[in-house]
Amino acid sequence: MKAMNRRKLFTVCATIAVASLAITAIPAQAAEVGVSSTEIKLGMTLPMTGTASPGYNKIPAAVKAYFDYVNANGGINGRKLTLVVKDDQYVPTLAVAKTNELILKDKVMALLAPLGTANNKAVAAVVNPGARKIPVLFVNTGFSGFADKKKYPTTFSILPSYIMEAKIMAEYIKDNFAGKKLGLLYQDDDFGDDALAGFKQAGLNFDIKVAYASGSQGDKVSPGGWITKLQASGAEVVILFGVSSATAAALGTAAVMKYAPQWILGSVGGDATTIKASGVPAGVLYNAVGASFAPATTDTADEYVKLFQEIYLKANPTETFDNNVMVGMNTAFVTAQAIKAAGKNPTRATLIAAIEKSGKSFASAALVPLNFSTTSHVGYNGYWFGKYSPTGDLKPAGGVYTVYTTDSGTGAVVKSTYKRPAMPAKGLPN
Amino acid sequence: MFQFINTILIGITAGAIYSLMAISIVLVWRSTRVINFAQAGMALLSTYIGYEAMVHFNSFWIALPVAMIGGAAVSAFIELVFMRLLVKRSSTGPIAAVAPIIATLGLLGLIKGVISTVWGGADVRLVGPVTNVGYSIGDKTLAFSPLKLLTLVTVVVLMLLLTVLFQRSSIGLSLRASAYSPEIARLSGVKVDFIRTLGWSLAGTSGAVAGMFQTINGNGAFSPESIEFSLLLITGFIAAVIGGLESLVGAVVGGLVLGLVISFVLMYVSGSLFFIAPFVILLIVLIIKPQGIVGTKVARRA
Amino acid sequence: MHKLKSSRNLGFFVVFGFILFLVGNRVDELRVYQGATIAVYVVAISSIILLTGYSGQVSLGHGALLAIGAYSAAVARDNFHAPVVLTFVIAVLAAAIGGALLGVAAARLSGPYLAGTTLALAIGLPSLANQFPIFGGEQGIFFDVGVPPASLGEDFTQYKWFFWIGALAALVSTWLVANILRSRYGRNWRAGRSNETAASLSGINVAGSKILAFTISAGIAGLAGALLSMTIGVVSPSAFPLALSFSLLTGAVLSGVSTLSGVMIGAVTLVAIPEIADVVATRLGVSETLTTNLPGLMVSSLLILTVLFVPNGPIEQHRTRHARKAAKEKN
Repeated sequence: MKAMNRRKLFTVCATIAVASLAITAIPAQAAEVGVSSTEIKLGMTLPMTGTASPGYNKIPAAVKAYFDYVNANGGINGRKLTLVVKDDQYVPTLAVAKTNELILKDKVMALLAPLGTANNKAVAAVVNPGARKIPVLFVNTGFSGFADKKKYPTTFSILPSYIMEAKIMAEYIKDNFAGKKLGLLYQDDDFGDDALAGFKQAGLNFDIKVAYASGSQGDKVSPGGWITKLQASGAEVVILFGVSSATAAALGTAAVMKYAPQWILGSVGGDATTIKASGVPAGVLYNAVGASFAPATTDTADEYVKLFQEIYLKANPTETFDNNVMVGMNTAFVTAQAIKAAGKNPTRATLIAAIEKSGKSFASAALVPLNFSTTSHVGYNGYWFGKYSPTGDLKPAGGVYTVYTTDSGTGAVVKSTYKRPAMPAKGLPN
Repeated sequence: MFQFINTILIGITAGAIYSLMAISIVLVWRSTRVINFAQAGMALLSTYIGYEAMVHFNSFWIALPVAMIGGAAVSAFIELVFMRLLVKRSSTGPIAAVAPIIATLGLLGLIKGVISTVWGGADVRLVGPVTNVGYSIGDKTLAFSPLKLLTLVTVVVLMLLLTVLFQRSSIGLSLRASAYSPEIARLSGVKVDFIRTLGWSLAGTSGAVAGMFQTINGNGAFSPESIEFSLLLITGFIAAVIGGLESLVGAVVGGLVLGLVISFVLMYVSGSLFFIAPFVILLIVLIIKPQGIVGTKVARRA
Repeated sequence: MHKLKSSRNLGFFVVFGFILFLVGNRVDELRVYQGATIAVYVVAISSIILLTGYSGQVSLGHGALLAIGAYSAAVARDNFHAPVVLTFVIAVLAAAIGGALLGVAAARLSGPYLAGTTLALAIGLPSLANQFPIFGGEQGIFFDVGVPPASLGEDFTQYKWFFWIGALAALVSTWLVANILRSRYGRNWRAGRSNETAASLSGINVAGSKILAFTISAGIAGLAGALLSMTIGVVSPSAFPLALSFSLLTGAVLSGVSTLSGVMIGAVTLVAIPEIADVVATRLGVSETLTTNLPGLMVSSLLILTVLFVPNGPIEQHRTRHARKAAKEKN
């Protein structure tokens, strides 16, 4: 009797298994995944909650604000742009799971600006958009490795690489702080390794280098330790080459410990809104050096800043227009042009081909050129440096943008002669 | 030598906070014979309540009592609604012995989920009433600040209050009686149910203070995923076990021992061992002196 | 008699495997991926059922044992280029050794002490990865079992490959556990669970039997860890949060901690919860934060509700009610 019962139970279990697996039938294939007659669907993973989320969690609203603006003006060849956002909490394993959902469940046409070096590497290794021929437009990381077209055939970078940033930063330090004692705080992973490679390439030596562990654990427990080490070394100029949360923690702790060297903030962590939101007084940020490739967000004389600010604040009246928003909207703007260039009935393949063919001539808000070609998936390649105002806004020295460009290899750092073309009419893709 | 002194100072302050957490665990254990793994979650919730008070009144001195009352209320509510039902319902079957433990773990998940939903996952901040910049001796800065002094004073005051309550009043006596022998206590006129709820409330209060001070002694930022609260979760339990689970004095001794050991390991061995060090201490204590440093000789079987 | 029963079971597992094979060919890639995840959960939950339900030792930190398996498999693969099959064997052995050590300590403890110890381990162990460079810190290390063999054809996707490996591992390990539980060892565990004194009086080495349970359970957990990291491709501390141990425990309680045959219920529920939460969140149009937290809230609520109302799992509950009814009718 008991054995019978058990077998019955097994049968129940088997039925559950079969039923749960067979709920959905295979849907009919459209012309291209994620492209219908009325809509083009893109997917994004990034930290919307958790320690690393401040600042970054404003990006989806920024991208959506621009997409809605395009949609209100007729969309791209009559199709609306939509964005599906998934929260990965800056955790690689979650990024893999969420990217799977985007591809298998939401069936997006392409991935847009997925954030984080480790996350993108994990996704590339497991989900492998390259083998699935799914475009990864404009990863939100400056890790130089993603420029490897063989390894990541469908991935496009847009941010200047961390190597480029470090090389240009070294040039700036040689010009402005020669002979001072130098300190560096960096993230102990590929992000930091890239920076170290760039500084080494530029021949910059540090009196003290402090590494911190990436992820949610490191930056909460030990900022006291970082500052103690930097302070003990007597460093007069300190580069903070980390994420926003770590940068904010370092600045806040240094303020408490009365340590005030000349700060130089990397582009990743130099987000004033996040730093101020985590309780660091704006005064601490005052006179720190920062880098950007986009125009200053307070520069409302700039036609892009003016338009983006208008669009963003109309959609999000209670938010602040900051650099994360600016860069997010710019990425959305470049994406819209790429989709338009991909033809009347865009496919994944034509989208990639379009960026390779004409990406170089896409309009963008940045003060440095885009460098896409059939041989290169590298976007921007330069930075300008400025100082933070008493209110915490990054402004170019003397009001003039001095832009430097370089590459991720052994190329020299040169003053850029790039002149940004005028914005297309109404800031819509033409 | 200077670093050595600083390590001791850091360890004592941290240990004082762990002691409070251990006291919470001990109080719940003594009143209902359950190890409450949700205690750190309740401390986190209390800290958020304190944070709300801080936002409204902009004063730590209002926020702290509000957090304490909030902690007591949350704790009492859980005991009244949840634990009573649990004790009544799951007293038979193969997992009767472990059901309460699993349930408190579920409670921890639930509390964290509710907090994340209400307050979001991003950091919020709590600022202490006095500075955390250390006192100076000559040109050196001690790892001991007005804030750390305040922490120690608060813990000592709370300890004294609890001790007085337990030794001098009939409430303390009833709590002891209901813990050791609920049936006999009930027969001799003790309101066992009320006393249990009271034990939980006191635990919630103590946990709230631990949460508030743990937060302002760090960089002030906290979130549902804060590492500080994972740390409180295990240090509270481990300190209570070191102290023998039954005694308040034991909990304090356990907390201080743990605080000092962690502090020394972090300073002299490796900065990333803050979870492993307490675990190793727990194993050593359980294997060498299973009744705890202060505890009486009772086997670790519950 | 005994032999006959076990071979009859073997037949069942083979048939079930064949059904899975047929289903796996007919559903889309998302379901195949979820099927692979269900397989991982089946292995992990059966490991908890063996330990907690049958030998009566509670482990709140099974995530730590999964981590041991995952890391050892990944290190073997990444640093020493071990063949895939060998990496799974290594995962089982490494976790079993860890489990044996833990079991020695655990045999002296019970109830809350063991629970707290395993909980501390689950929180603490993954952070050790930051201590040794070989584990790749927070970023972790990759665990790549490779692409499916070319002989399976062009259309054979990576996830179907994961599903095949996972389902096979789940079938084999569940069959093994089912037979161990019916063997002498299983009876000893149950005897020790219900009354330790009586068990030791009747000649059972209770401590030894408990350590053995911990070792076997840990070995299976190690296999689950390796399978888990196969499906997510990367092993990092963040892959083994306390929430994982929570979920697995919930899966075990839902399955009925003391009924192995319910293991599918827990595994399917765990995979279904995020789906259901997603549907609910979209239907109700709830806020962003609630959408993110809904799966976690559902897992915790289910855990609490199950412990309160069906503490022994739905199958055991059904059986008891059935038996009671039958007894009544007899009267």
